[in-house]
Amino acid sequence: MTRRIIGQALMGIIIAVMIIVPFFVQDEQWVNLVSLILIWALFAIGFDLVFGVTGMLSFGHAALFGAGGYALTILTLSYGVGFIPGLFAAAIVGAVLAYLMGLFALRVSGLFFALLTLALAQMMYILASNKLRAITGGLDGIPGVPRPDLFGINFYDNHNYYGFIVAVFLIGLALMALLRGSPFGRALRAVQANDVRAAQLGYNVHSLRQSAFIVSGAYAGVAGALLASLIFYISPQMLHWSTSGDVLIMTVLGGKGTLLGPILGVALFELLKEELSQITQYWYGILGLVFIFATIFLRNGIAEMFQGDQDEGDMQ
Amino acid sequence: MSIIVIGLSLSFLLFLLAAGLTLIFGMLGVINFAHGALYMLGAFVGYQIVHMTGSFWLGLLFAPLIVACVGALIEILALKQVYDRDHIFQLLLTFGFILVIDDATKMIWGFDYKQVPTPEIFMAPISMFGSQIPSYRLFVIGFGAAVSLALFLLLDRSKWGMIIRAASSDPEMAQTLGVNVNRVRTGVFALGAYLAALGGVVSAPLVPIELGMGFSVIIDCFVVVIIGGLGNIRGAILASLLLGMTRAAGYTYATEWVELLTFALLIGTLMFRPAGLFSTKGRSA
Amino acid sequence: MKRRNFLRSAGALTLASTLPAPMVLRAATPEDYHIAGILSFSGAYGLIGNDMRKGAELAVAMRGGELLGKKVRFSWEDDETKPQPAVQKASRLLAEGTQLMFGAVSSASTLALQSLSTQRKVPHLVTISADDSITKMDGARYSFRTSNTLAMEMNMCVEFVKKRGIKRVYAVTADYQATRSAFDDFAAKAKAAGVEIVGNDFAPLGNRDFSVIIDKMARSDADGILVVATGNDGVTFCKQAGQVGMGLNKVLFGPVLQDEIFAAATGEAALGVNSGVRYHFSLDNPANAEFVTAYRDANGDYPSAFAGEAFDGLRWWMDVIEATDSWDVETWVDAFETSVYENSVEGRKEMRACDHQAKQVGLWGEVVKGEAPLPDLTMKITEEFSANSLFSDC
Repeated sequence: MTRRIIGQALMGIIIAVMIIVPFFVQDEQWVNLVSLILIWALFAIGFDLVFGVTGMLSFGHAALFGAGGYALTILTLSYGVGFIPGLFAAAIVGAVLAYLMGLFALRVSGLFFALLTLALAQMMYILASNKLRAITGGLDGIPGVPRPDLFGINFYDNHNYYGFIVAVFLIGLALMALLRGSPFGRALRAVQANDVRAAQLGYNVHSLRQSAFIVSGAYAGVAGALLASLIFYISPQMLHWSTSGDVLIMTVLGGKGTLLGPILGVALFELLKEELSQITQYWYGILGLVFIFATIFLRNGIAEMFQGDQDEGDMQ
Repeated sequence: MSIIVIGLSLSFLLFLLAAGLTLIFGMLGVINFAHGALYMLGAFVGYQIVHMTGSFWLGLLFAPLIVACVGALIEILALKQVYDRDHIFQLLLTFGFILVIDDATKMIWGFDYKQVPTPEIFMAPISMFGSQIPSYRLFVIGFGAAVSLALFLLLDRSKWGMIIRAASSDPEMAQTLGVNVNRVRTGVFALGAYLAALGGVVSAPLVPIELGMGFSVIIDCFVVVIIGGLGNIRGAILASLLLGMTRAAGYTYATEWVELLTFALLIGTLMFRPAGLFSTKGRSA
Repeated sequence: MKRRNFLRSAGALTLASTLPAPMVLRAATPEDYHIAGILSFSGAYGLIGNDMRKGAELAVAMRGGELLGKKVRFSWEDDETKPQPAVQKASRLLAEGTQLMFGAVSSASTLALQSLSTQRKVPHLVTISADDSITKMDGARYSFRTSNTLAMEMNMCVEFVKKRGIKRVYAVTADYQATRSAFDDFAAKAKAAGVEIVGNDFAPLGNRDFSVIIDKMARSDADGILVVATGNDGVTFCKQAGQVGMGLNKVLFGPVLQDEIFAAATGEAALGVNSGVRYHFSLDNPANAEFVTAYRDANGDYPSAFAGEAFDGLRWWMDVIEATDSWDVETWVDAFETSVYENSVEGRKEMRACDHQAKQVGLWGEVVKGEAPLPDLTMKITEEFSANSLFSDC
């Protein structure tokens, strides 16, 4: 028990340091990297609610991520909506889309749920790249996604936008911590542990799963919107199944079922990508080797290194 | 009428591509995401053999064997280590292997597109039903049918098949009965890799051999495997036929909608008959 | 002139008021000329990125590795043929100070880089992506394209059809915005010239099996087959069309259907296929002779269109920059957008200020058998269309 607390504290410190550094170092490299990490971390935290806490492997989260990005882009560019309302809209779009996907996908479970979410997301990718190209700009995407416009601060300065991202991230993190510790969170874990038993105990398993999915959709939507604004660009690539694969890898690498694990997983993934690609042109292959080793030797990712193996009942 | 012949060739090509994937899932419970990468490796190794010996047939014979060895290595070195854990870990490992195989291929063969010419005997098209059908496509039909028959006989009617099925449905029992379950698992994965590579070599005269080719087939393979029922060889054959014929019809009348139609079929199957449109209860061939 | 000055001062004021001190320091002369090359170095387009890199590096080597008195430094990054990594890696490179962004290969990544270049006011050079939307009227101020547009290549297709006397065309078009518009463009102009469009089928990008479409084409009475598809898909189509012997009684052609690389990937079926050619090593002019010799010395084989265009565009840019003798980005942009390049490996190119697209000749060729030291299958340039015939006025 103590080991876990110490472990979590350590992880928390590392994350805190990572967040604080860009405020003091002017070098833009760090700002860019940590901005990206925090955005994906937000996505991963939401994803882990469904995957690590509720025990559903979804391959379709890319659709929610991308939908949020498109929502922000289309509302701000074509309809002149402000950034903050656009961000809320992205959350809502992500949540609603998650609900709709759930209507189809939650009829089946386990592996088939995974495959169905993959199929649904990929169908949305095809629609976005092709049939709906009038709205989405097709495969070429939509450039020129704006930054926020608040209190006269120039968010086109990446340092300022970073501050904005940190704020949104911390809010998201706090909310998720509360959610996981609440009766709702405990109910979700009960469903993962044994859904039949949970149903017998009176929990509405379907409704619980539905809710987890919707919440993670909102997180994905917000993250997608923040990313589109960061790179001033949105394209159907964000909806592609490889994006779902990426967030899965990051979450597992970091430690599924834990709150802080996925954040470290994202950080490691992005750091490796950045550093390795400067050294060799075969960086992707080396990244693959790292995954393979990490998967074989670390049972639950980075989090395990810090806080040891998980017990079934009371993880945070 | 010629649509039917073309549809059949599309179907058997799809089957050759998907057979390995469904076998590995059915017998080992592993979704092999590296299937596309192994297919690509098969095409490149096949190219290398053709390039060095001038014979397509030697390539067809040996390339899959070489890739099967690679598959066995992957199983022994990596998959075996996580066998006792949640299936997600095996899935992740195969993800990792895609990246490794892709870069290894780039390292060995470089960036250039490679090319395997149509084998001499199949150069001339055959006139049939008012169309010129490439004779290589007829070969694909014949070859695909032969492979599916061989697989069926192997899994359903032979002693090996019985051992494989026993080891997959109840490994502990099989182990106590003297079956070396570990060896069987390695063998099955190697066989799956073999089939993926076979698909690669057979596809080589039809498409450019390049670094991105694995990604372009993986979704198709998944569609066939899911519609046919995971692990169900007979289902895979029927699903390939369904998909191949639908595509042939689609390309004839409404080419823009073929992709969406494929996915609609997939989603429908997953929602209403998740075990596959053609499956029976068991997970046999 | 007044408006430009005003905008410049307004821009400078905004920038100065928001940037922290260290960045203002960076406005002083950098220690080298940093070029950020964001290209595909993996997957199907990897070989294109690799060739472009060779061409670009040669351009720098041939001027002694220096520009404006400082060493030229390249940073090459793989965008994985996706926009997000392209922008991500470009952003990192921009953070260390970049004088020029070079790339990408796929139009989607190029557009994403262009967006970044506008935001960050960093010059951006495009030497391959053909999508027409990259050079819109009054579009991205800092972005320029020195290579072909899809529109000019389609115009060449129309001219070819007329010259060759083709009367009925059946087309296959990749289901992608740019190619769809390109086909519509062709269809309108062809019909105006009395050519009948017998059919058109859309194939998804990355399609691997054209057998049904090929069958339809073979059965039709078309005498010309138009393939509006990018590299890989085009190769697949030609290979499969060859298996029914379609090239025997119909002419296969397309805007960017074949070149030495794709012909090698296609095999014998490529013989007789006609295509627009972005650049060719056989062009007879002093600049090209010098380039081809140097390229063969450095790399051992003939430069592909990707290497040639990359070399040419970068060398043009550097020549113009050197002549300005300044490190001010706005000066560079003003100079380049009105420049004329007489020393191009394709003869003469003229940059258009209205859309930042280089006006240039269009090459058309056919795949023929080559004799050593030429590659086995090589392009024979059959037409050189004048710039004026291919570009309409701004």
